[in-house]
Amino acid sequence: MNDNDELNDSAVLSAVRDSISGLPMPTAPRLEAITARGRARHRRRLAGVWVASVAACAALVVALAGGWGSAGPAPQAGPAPQARPAPSHHATEVQLAAFSVVADRDGSTTLTLGPGQMINPNAVRQALAEHGIPALVTAGEFCRTADQPAPGVGDVVVLLPHGLRYVGSGGPLPRPSIVIYGSRIPRGVKLSIGYRQDAQDREISFTLIKAGAPLTCTSMPDHGPHGDDGPQG
Amino acid sequence: MNHEQTEFAEFFQASWEPCLRAVVASTGSVQLAEDQVAEAFARAWLSWRKVRRHPAPRAWVVRTALNTGVSWWRRRTRELPLAGHDAVAPRDMDDGLDTALLTALRHLSDRQREVIALRVFLDLDIDTIAGQLGIAPATVRVHLSRAVSTLRHELSPYQAMEVD
Repeated sequence: MNDNDELNDSAVLSAVRDSISGLPMPTAPRLEAITARGRARHRRRLAGVWVASVAACAALVVALAGGWGSAGPAPQAGPAPQARPAPSHHATEVQLAAFSVVADRDGSTTLTLGPGQMINPNAVRQALAEHGIPALVTAGEFCRTADQPAPGVGDVVVLLPHGLRYVGSGGPLPRPSIVIYGSRIPRGVKLSIGYRQDAQDREISFTLIKAGAPLTCTSMPDHGPHGDDGPQG
Repeated sequence: MNHEQTEFAEFFQASWEPCLRAVVASTGSVQLAEDQVAEAFARAWLSWRKVRRHPAPRAWVVRTALNTGVSWWRRRTRELPLAGHDAVAPRDMDDGLDTALLTALRHLSDRQREVIALRVFLDLDIDTIAGQLGIAPATVRVHLSRAVSTLRHELSPYQAMEVD
């Protein structure tokens, strides 16, 4: 990178800064509004802890009964995972902590990934399938098809706070919760879930793909038709 | 108002606008960013004892705000016009944002927008950004370089006009 490049880089960043800085910004809300919002959130969280505890217990009971982290109001009596080696007791515990799939009252499904655990993509895929969600789940790579089917993935997947990408800063990784509206996935379309985790960084990416279409998989998520986040040769 | 409340109040007043601008740059919407930043500050208030010890509290707010809106941005990117075909501005661009800039920003990945937001609007250096994102400084540089390259390409007519 030479001086001209530096200058150009600077000019580009300045253009971005000036463009945004020139905009009139809304004045800050009253502090009381922020703290009230925080208190309301705190109350919701306390209420949610109880609900989540019940759901977690249900997930554990179902999982111990033979499921793989999948729980719902009416667990399906589908076939047990095929072609899966009988897990050791220890492996089962890890798998149970790795994720849970819980049906919500509004027809959505919540996928929660445990902190610090590697998920078994096939187990997640199967658990989602039991909830009527066709999915491709990949670990360490992010797959998409050339065309993104409508609707956008944002209409199908809602990430709860801190859900999509959380970078640890020494503290424990939170549990990303992903609310999936399976009924909004059109026929012939699948939800592609890519998952990557290392010691400090966890990244989950979602996109809708056409079932049966050729896949392009990269080690980094491609965020759009012109995404350039992947490695370049 | 006790000491912590006073401290948070000062932080809030001083940080609202820079955090908002950073999130606007990443989300492409003043209205949405305003809500996300308000939510992030509400969470900062709840966790103030932790956030106040954070090496870059503003970055904490911005990252929290951005994490609440990633899925929205992805939906939006599908709604934005393609470069070169944006004769009609999107309906909700009437909050004063430059459509060309928005179109350019949509070509960035989430991570690249995040790096831009932290670098440009919070004036964080590479090492601090790396610490915030939990990635290597070299990776931050790569994200920044690719982001700038994309922005330069997308904004090139405007750059040329300024040089001239």
